[in-house]
Amino acid sequence: MYSILALIFKYIFIIVIYLFIFSIIRLIYLDIKSMDAISFEDRAYLKLINRKDSLPFKIDEHYIIDGDIKLGRQNNNDIVIKDQYVSKEHFQIVEDEKEYYLEDLESVNGTYLNGDKLYDIVKLKDGDIIRIGKIEFLFVNRE
Amino acid sequence: MMFKGEIRKQSPKNLLLLFQILALLLLLAYEQMHADKMIFIMAMGLILIIYLSNYLLIKISSGDNYIFLIVTMLITIGIIVIYRIDEKLGIKQLTWISLGIFLFFLVYFMVKRLKKIDDWLYLYLVLAYLLFIITFAFGDRKFGAINWVSFRGFAFQPGEITKIVLIFLLASYYSNTEKWRHIKYSSYYIMGVVYSFIALLFLQKDLGTALVFYIIFASIQFIYEEDRKLILYNIGLFLGSGVLGYVLFDHVKIRFQAWLNPWIYIERQGYQITQSLFAIAEGGFFGKGLGMGHPDFVPVVYTDFIFSAICEEMGIFTGIGIVMLFMIFVYRGFKIAISQENRFYRILAIGISTLFGIQSFIILGGVLKMIPLTGLTLPFISYGGSSILSSFIALSILQICSEDMTSREDTDE
Repeated sequence: MYSILALIFKYIFIIVIYLFIFSIIRLIYLDIKSMDAISFEDRAYLKLINRKDSLPFKIDEHYIIDGDIKLGRQNNNDIVIKDQYVSKEHFQIVEDEKEYYLEDLESVNGTYLNGDKLYDIVKLKDGDIIRIGKIEFLFVNRE
Repeated sequence: MMFKGEIRKQSPKNLLLLFQILALLLLLAYEQMHADKMIFIMAMGLILIIYLSNYLLIKISSGDNYIFLIVTMLITIGIIVIYRIDEKLGIKQLTWISLGIFLFFLVYFMVKRLKKIDDWLYLYLVLAYLLFIITFAFGDRKFGAINWVSFRGFAFQPGEITKIVLIFLLASYYSNTEKWRHIKYSSYYIMGVVYSFIALLFLQKDLGTALVFYIIFASIQFIYEEDRKLILYNIGLFLGSGVLGYVLFDHVKIRFQAWLNPWIYIERQGYQITQSLFAIAEGGFFGKGLGMGHPDFVPVVYTDFIFSAICEEMGIFTGIGIVMLFMIFVYRGFKIAISQENRFYRILAIGISTLFGIQSFIILGGVLKMIPLTGLTLPFISYGGSSILSSFIALSILQICSEDMTSREDTDE
């Protein structure tokens, strides 16, 4: 009886060990994938505050805000984040005469600006912290 | 189908838990004939501790959260095989690991609070020599090397701690080169100190540890030494003393010959290595299954030769998996070193990753007859109290190194 079990388990053990290794490699891969450096001088961008390897989905360290951008889970957004706390269309940032405005798109879990839940369109200033779910972005706009 | 969905989430923490629970189920089937409840409670306790530690560490540490996860996987594989080889040793190992995890958190919180630890060069120096003196004064000879100190029936290897002290010593020297510049030839002195350690280890006939010391020193020196010709001297001196050691000392010669052709010495010096090769070959790709092989044919299989026992019963695929786990671990270590701004902690991270990388390389290479065999433990897998405890101390320091030191200094002020 035990010998049959031992035979079956040896295959299961190997499969689980390899799944474990690949799950770690996958997370590390997501971590390294976007280590490319771009120059951000005199451009507005969002900077990820979280350690990237603590988030189990694809996310970049920086997102340059070029005109109006939309963030959400659906693929037609400018910033796509496949997190369960992110709505299909979560928020958008609108540019108007070199000023940037943040607007929540009636997301389920809401958008937080510097800790307060967002209800209106708010003008962003340098150093603002935007939070959705566990993800935190720093808004940088140095002119 | 629900089960499959759980796996697809591929959270490594859950996979680890799954692995441990499966192992426990197998143990349950194995122990049916002589059920001992104690071991189940202990094993379940350990699984709980490991799961909680992995969970807590993400909360309390802003640093890397893979290294501890990888280590707990290695430990799980190790303890399964050790328990299978010898039940008493398995239970002992269980207590060592629990103690090790406790020590991990203790060292983590203590060392993090200490300031100016990069200034204590002389303390590290004295501590290292003190550990050598203890070994020589109270040491016993075990498996051909004097590296065990017994104290009231409790044996430990001071050499395991000396490795960490050496890394601190080197980090403390190379992070303050400005300070030591006024002493002429200070780099030569530090090299002399390390060589004196290596000579002492040679006298203890602890060749494996001597090699680990040398490689840690050589790699840190290679990265940080400004006087580049010193590196050439170091390599030359090493080759010279290696050849000299081969000619002068019999135990070096025996190891070397047993490596070149163990088959003609199969009765004596080559016995261990040939049995190990038989065991690995016997296992094949998927192994014989736990409890179905004969790992006890290999002498002292639970420490140095644990890898051949794993290969025999769990297959060479598990063996390759272990090598991969060590590779990811060392990779994480170097990544930590690269992203660390503080020079002292950066050198510590390099030293510790080199320590684990090279130690596992030397013993795995030795067991597989790739390089001459030297007695070393496979970190986190082999049986042994001092090995487990010192590995956890080193891991805890690596965890501290993975945190952002500059932001910590800001919040302190």
